[in-house]
Amino acid sequence: MDKTRIIPSMFHRRLLLLLVCMCLMMMLLGAQLFRLSVIEKDKWLRDAESRLSQHAYLPTHRGRILDRNGNILALDKPSYDIAVEYEVITGRWPIRKAERQARREVGREDWKMLSKQGRQEEINARIPEWEASCERLWYLVMTLGEIDENELLTRCDAIRRKVKSSAEAYRERTRREEGINDNRPLPAKEEKIAHVILTQISDQVAFEFRKLETELPGMFEIKSTLRRVYPWMRNTVYLSRNSLPSPIRSDDVQEIHLMGVADHLIGAVRDTVWAEDLARRPFLTEDRTIDLGGYRHTDVVGSRGLERAYEDVLRGEVGVVEENLETAEKIVSVSKPGRDLTTTIDILLQSRVQAILSPEYGLTRVQQWQLGWESYGRPRPGKLPLGSPLNAAAVVLEVSSGEILAMVTMPTRAMGERMSKLQRKIVSPAVNRAYEALYPPGSIIKPMLLSAAVTEGVLTLSESIECTGHFFEHSKQFARCWIYRDIYNFATHGSLEAEEALGRSCNIFFYTLADRLGMERLIVWYGRYGIGQPLNIGLDLESEFQAKYRNWLGRLPDVEKISQFRLRGEIESATVFMGIGQGPITWTPLHAANAYATLARGGTIRDATIVMAGSSEARVITRKDLNLKRSVVDAALEGLRQSIMASHGTGHHILLPGRLREPIINAEGVTVWAKTGTAQAPPLKHDDNGDGEISESEVIEHMDHAWFVGLVGPRNGIPLYAISVIVEYGGSGGRTAGPIANQIIRALQAEGYLPGHHLAFPEESG
Amino acid sequence: MSGFLTSSESRWLIPFSSRTQARGAMQSKINPVNVAWLCVIAAVLLNLLGIMAIDTVPRPDSPDFAMKHFQFMIIGMLAAGLIALPHYRFLQRLTYIFMILVLGMLVFVLMKWVPDSIVHPRNGARRWITLPFTDFQPSELAKIAYVLALASYLRFRKNYRTMFGLLLPLFLTFIPMGLIVVEPDLGTAMVFLPTFFAVLIAAGAKYRHLLIVALIGLSLAPMLYPVLQPHQQARIKAMIAQMSGEDRYNQTIGFQADRAKTLVGAGGFFGAGKQKAAALVHYNHLPEEHNDMVFAVICCRWGVLGALATWGLYLILIVGGLLTSAKCREPFGRLVGVGLVTVLFSQMIINTGMTIGLLPITGMTLPFISYGGSSLVVAWMMVGLLLNIALRRPGFTLRHSFEFDEQVDDEVSFRVGVWRMPGA
Repeated sequence: MDKTRIIPSMFHRRLLLLLVCMCLMMMLLGAQLFRLSVIEKDKWLRDAESRLSQHAYLPTHRGRILDRNGNILALDKPSYDIAVEYEVITGRWPIRKAERQARREVGREDWKMLSKQGRQEEINARIPEWEASCERLWYLVMTLGEIDENELLTRCDAIRRKVKSSAEAYRERTRREEGINDNRPLPAKEEKIAHVILTQISDQVAFEFRKLETELPGMFEIKSTLRRVYPWMRNTVYLSRNSLPSPIRSDDVQEIHLMGVADHLIGAVRDTVWAEDLARRPFLTEDRTIDLGGYRHTDVVGSRGLERAYEDVLRGEVGVVEENLETAEKIVSVSKPGRDLTTTIDILLQSRVQAILSPEYGLTRVQQWQLGWESYGRPRPGKLPLGSPLNAAAVVLEVSSGEILAMVTMPTRAMGERMSKLQRKIVSPAVNRAYEALYPPGSIIKPMLLSAAVTEGVLTLSESIECTGHFFEHSKQFARCWIYRDIYNFATHGSLEAEEALGRSCNIFFYTLADRLGMERLIVWYGRYGIGQPLNIGLDLESEFQAKYRNWLGRLPDVEKISQFRLRGEIESATVFMGIGQGPITWTPLHAANAYATLARGGTIRDATIVMAGSSEARVITRKDLNLKRSVVDAALEGLRQSIMASHGTGHHILLPGRLREPIINAEGVTVWAKTGTAQAPPLKHDDNGDGEISESEVIEHMDHAWFVGLVGPRNGIPLYAISVIVEYGGSGGRTAGPIANQIIRALQAEGYLPGHHLAFPEESG
Repeated sequence: MSGFLTSSESRWLIPFSSRTQARGAMQSKINPVNVAWLCVIAAVLLNLLGIMAIDTVPRPDSPDFAMKHFQFMIIGMLAAGLIALPHYRFLQRLTYIFMILVLGMLVFVLMKWVPDSIVHPRNGARRWITLPFTDFQPSELAKIAYVLALASYLRFRKNYRTMFGLLLPLFLTFIPMGLIVVEPDLGTAMVFLPTFFAVLIAAGAKYRHLLIVALIGLSLAPMLYPVLQPHQQARIKAMIAQMSGEDRYNQTIGFQADRAKTLVGAGGFFGAGKQKAAALVHYNHLPEEHNDMVFAVICCRWGVLGALATWGLYLILIVGGLLTSAKCREPFGRLVGVGLVTVLFSQMIINTGMTIGLLPITGMTLPFISYGGSSLVVAWMMVGLLLNIALRRPGFTLRHSFEFDEQVDDEVSFRVGVWRMPGA
């Protein structure tokens, strides 16, 4: 005992210490309780109350996608599926049913008394009758669903495999997370539900199954679902062959079956919801409220094209029936179907253009007229065998509005599915070549450069520039005009004014303009015409390009690149090459069509669009003006007109054996302002021998892409539509891409966009 | 316990007291007005609170748990009365026999050859011996046996004031604890550790030594983690995840913890009331709502007020128990009081702590409140023991036990100059 202390007894002091410790612990608990019940009360109460009500969700349907004339390109169609219980599929079902029946019939107490063997006997006696039910169901599935036994077995096996693997994965995961280490079979959800065996059955068959529900209860489900349907994706186009270049011309009308029409634009949906969807718009949001437009695991999601880009417009919101479990009150809010999306596409024109680009029509194959003949009549050899299909793309857009009427890429995804793996890798059918693939512009950039040079004052329209065949004094091999070659006996164009220079596509003229403008001004002007600028038409990029070139469609040299050119002393040559659309610049066919439309609008820049203005989903269309003088535009258009209409134009004619000339554009009643382009292409990989590998000898270098870009309007009228055609590795722009553009103009006529109609034979034009 | 009291209780009292009188060692007198009644009052109120809490959720298709709880309360109070009658010093003599019996039962439940009809494993745990009227958990009795054995061992010794002397008490702790861990019943096993420390602190062991033991234990604890059952590890993982606001375990292993927390929070300060609380508890599918999770029901129905009432009553019970110890001069009684109080307190902390999300979920009842026969009767027996101690007035002045040299360096000192008593 220590009398000097307030509490003399050590034992008592220690008891007090224990009490204090206990009180402190209780205060700690109190603090946590205070946090839960006072500070966070609302959150927990909301959580707890949310479980007082039960939600049932009413399905919604996706909006339709329409073309500009109201044709339905995509819609949700109701259909029925037959799903069979998993246990019926595995064959466990009769045993389980028999066991249950046996228990019921023997009675609970008696059942307990039975030995294991006795029980099994009772069960076995009842199995056959349930097995008979299964047999009957399978028989009906086969007859009503019109599938044979093998097909049925394949489907059942596929379901079993799928369920088994996902159930295993589920068990593995739960065991790991919950630390359950015994081998109790945790039933996975997949093992307790019905799985679809027959899809998209007719109403009639669904009705037959409906009648069976009472006879075979609990064995199958009739699921009514909505299926996304694309009515135009496959269709047939009839094209006359009488306006084709004479080597393949005939009086036949060709029937062309199309696959994947506008597939790259419309896109597709997937019925698996990915983590990124749930992260972007979860059904149950973070603050635990429900977003009726959010994603649940059973949802359909737009996976590419407009289906993805306008996912939020199209998908709609589910309805909800909220039942209060306490009071059994029900509140119903109906579902909001997704809104329709009207595109600027004309699906009939789109189909025609796709048919024109189809290899079976003949224009996107290697043909002799594209390669030409020697002066003594021998066919000039090409680098690809005659008849090889060529990848191509075409865009048609309305000048005044920037609306895209047709945008076709060849081959389509659907065609790609028939290719070998290697071929698919080389060809990349997933790429929308019209919108996503980058090409050097080549000569088609020349009218843009002309307008830039005149507006910047480095050229007057009356000024002539002498074509000497080569630009640099000291080098005759380098920066030549295209005719300064041995096959043309090193011809030159002589002295040219702007219009004729454009019509003849004289390189020297445009080297000079580029040189006068200088790299910096060139970049500014090319940028204004869209090179290196993202083209936001309302579609996301789909292909493998997406990661690489997002918001960066097309290329212009940047400051760093320019300083590199300077350092290496290449700035002058880089500048002049950019004058003819070569060197460090690329764009897409859509960019090209848009740039020509800009020129036709007198310099007004509008973004091309694929969604109809006036529909609420239309994007804000940017408008800027290049402030081009009318005279400049007229001069450029005159040059483009000469290019097609004048006999010296590069887009005027095809040469046939015997120096026979045949006009490229033979459509009647229209005026065409266009430019051909032959742009250097990267080495072509080509699996010649079909061994599935690319050997060194199968890489072909020094090939060109063929461009044909221009404007078309009624004869003596103004340009109404811009057309851009590219044929990859097609060689000469005029001879390969030109006939395609001609057919597209005829398609515009056939669809009533332009006056005139198909004539059996074109008349000679200037 | 009741087995010892087959005939009249006084029969035990008289010879016992006469024997002590004959030795002249101690005079036994009953002290009817004593602090242990605080414990009894608190226990009664807690028990009634428990009955009301159990009654919150109507269960049309199961037995009336509230009624059965009330019946067990009567049985428990009877058991407490019986255990209060013989002088605790007599009980002290039976301590080791009792301990060996209990250890025997703990070993028995673990034996795999024991048929399922006697020891029926639930969820893989072998904790229960099936009796005709109820299931019985030896681990519940082990708590009392352990406190008695520890107090009995320490009562006349001093050697636990050395490091080496702590080893035997520790050993005594680890035997029942180990057997219970193996059952597995980690929650009940965890009660033994605070009890060990509390009793040794009260007995005057050096803080330094206890601190060293605690530090060694804490540093070894992470090594024990891999030894834990996978579901125990998962629960600890889930609790840590849930404390940091993650909800990925909420539907699986962390379901119970999440729902308990939700209902506690939903009660707010004033509670949701009976009807609303019943609906919330029912539709939130709180598992064990009348049993381990009954504190969540209290918080949901009566809010913070209900929780404060519960903790307040426990505080009264604890203060009553500690005062009993303080008033008692006899070493065995002193330590038993402290030990029992700590057992009840630890159970309460573990149970309410896990309900509000501070501790991992483990099977642990809330004494007096949770539904469950053996748990309730054992809790009442503890109160009976406290009453027993407080009822006895020592007939002569014993040497004060557990008073050691104040020069000891490690005493957490109350010796503050200003506080020194005048004239001392």
